[in-house]
Amino acid sequence: MSLEANNLTKIYKLKKRQTKTAVDNISFSIPTGEIVGFIGPNGAGKSTTIKMMTGILIPDRGSVSIDGLSFKKNRKQIMMKTGVVFGQKSVLCWDIPVLDTLKLFKDMYRVPDAAYKRNMEMFSDILGIDEFISQPPRLLSLGQRMKADLAASLIYDPDILFLDEPTIGIDVLSKERIRNFIKKINEERHTTIILTTHDVSDIETLCEKIIIIDKGVLIYDGTLPDLKDRYQTTDLEEIIKKIYLAGERKYA
Amino acid sequence: MRKYLDLSLIGIKEHTAYLNSVWASFLAKIVYLYMQFALWNALFSSNAGKSIPLSHDDTIRYIIIATIISTFMECDVIGWINQQIQSGDVANQLIRPVDYKAMIFSKHLGVSCVRLVLYAIPLSIAAAAFYKKPLICRGQLIYGIISVLLAYMIQFLYSLIIGLMAFWLIVTWPLNMLLAAIYKLLSGSWIPAQMFPDLLSKINLFLPFRAIYAIPVTIITTSMDKADIMSAIRVQLIWLVILFLLSELTWVVGKNKLVVQGG
Repeated sequence: MSLEANNLTKIYKLKKRQTKTAVDNISFSIPTGEIVGFIGPNGAGKSTTIKMMTGILIPDRGSVSIDGLSFKKNRKQIMMKTGVVFGQKSVLCWDIPVLDTLKLFKDMYRVPDAAYKRNMEMFSDILGIDEFISQPPRLLSLGQRMKADLAASLIYDPDILFLDEPTIGIDVLSKERIRNFIKKINEERHTTIILTTHDVSDIETLCEKIIIIDKGVLIYDGTLPDLKDRYQTTDLEEIIKKIYLAGERKYA
Repeated sequence: MRKYLDLSLIGIKEHTAYLNSVWASFLAKIVYLYMQFALWNALFSSNAGKSIPLSHDDTIRYIIIATIISTFMECDVIGWINQQIQSGDVANQLIRPVDYKAMIFSKHLGVSCVRLVLYAIPLSIAAAAFYKKPLICRGQLIYGIISVLLAYMIQFLYSLIIGLMAFWLIVTWPLNMLLAAIYKLLSGSWIPAQMFPDLLSKINLFLPFRAIYAIPVTIITTSMDKADIMSAIRVQLIWLVILFLLSELTWVVGKNKLVVQGG
């Protein structure tokens, strides 16, 4: 599924007559089957933008369209095809086995038995979820929980997947497995993936395209090699630091 | 339908996940029932029932039935929604292709089933075993059950409205504490509504609370004219419609005003 954001704006009310423009007139488009890195410093408005793209928040101005569908008219249709993983918030039910949540999603998204079985086998092979599937999330480690969350969001074969910091607090080996998994999903199913992260190596290994925002404003929208060309270095971390610093100075 | 059933099952499993808390709740309900029973008995024996509009037996029946009904009428919906808003977990609920209110209701229904089986039924058996006189009006039982079901829906919608207000107020449980005090008094879950002074009864006519306990419990315990029963059920139906419309309105306002907390 392709995604188009047009002039997205979100303004939060702080106190009486005080407002904060979290996202300011952002437009971009993401074609089907791409992995896009969506980056920016803390408080840049990434999460707010993601929440508008997933239909959780309603933009104050502008619109989001997914394959030409809009949340106002085709909400349910979009939701059936959207997967979301918030690294800091679990979709799993805290006190009951992971398997029960997966079964709930199977019924909620009307996943055929064959597809469910195929996906479960794949999740066991790559993520090893079979080891902890009968335990409730409260007994899982952070890495296991994240793998279970990924499984829960992919069990219904979404066409577009939002990953909000999926590798936060995860050890090196698990990170690599999660990255490989994301890559495989993208290659096999042509799932469009929008990824926010603060881990530069996530972006290096996964994304062809990146979108950078700061203070709610779009800073860069293009390919990774182009960005490196522009700054004449291959050190992505250095480039991102420069961009963030420039942003700090500009608004200081 | 399967997804709603799954949600109800999740409600059941979550409620029974910690066995100790189930036992503690059960014992608390037995103690509460005994307390109410002892309190009203003492009250009647010291007062000789001069200024009380209900008879001793009527009152005891009312209190026993109200307490039993309250064990499954209880509603955690306000707490659930508040917790989801405060932690930001509500985001994960709103991305589903299922209506948020329907998901909450399914889960609530599951929890209520557990409460019915684990608390209400054993408590009813205990009450029937220890209280030798007749507890209910058998002829009116069917209306009583209809009335309880309506009350259950009214209770849910009321909680849903207060809960959904958290979409813009963030925290509504202190508001709920205030309302809970009014609710417990006016609904008639503590004190039979017939005992209220005139002014309170008049105020109560314009509030939905009496439709939750006073009406169904009275239908179950006191013999009434059919016309009176029907008019009582009509009051419940009217409140059901009003609260349903209000909950839809709260939902529309709420989802536009929602701010998801935390990164």
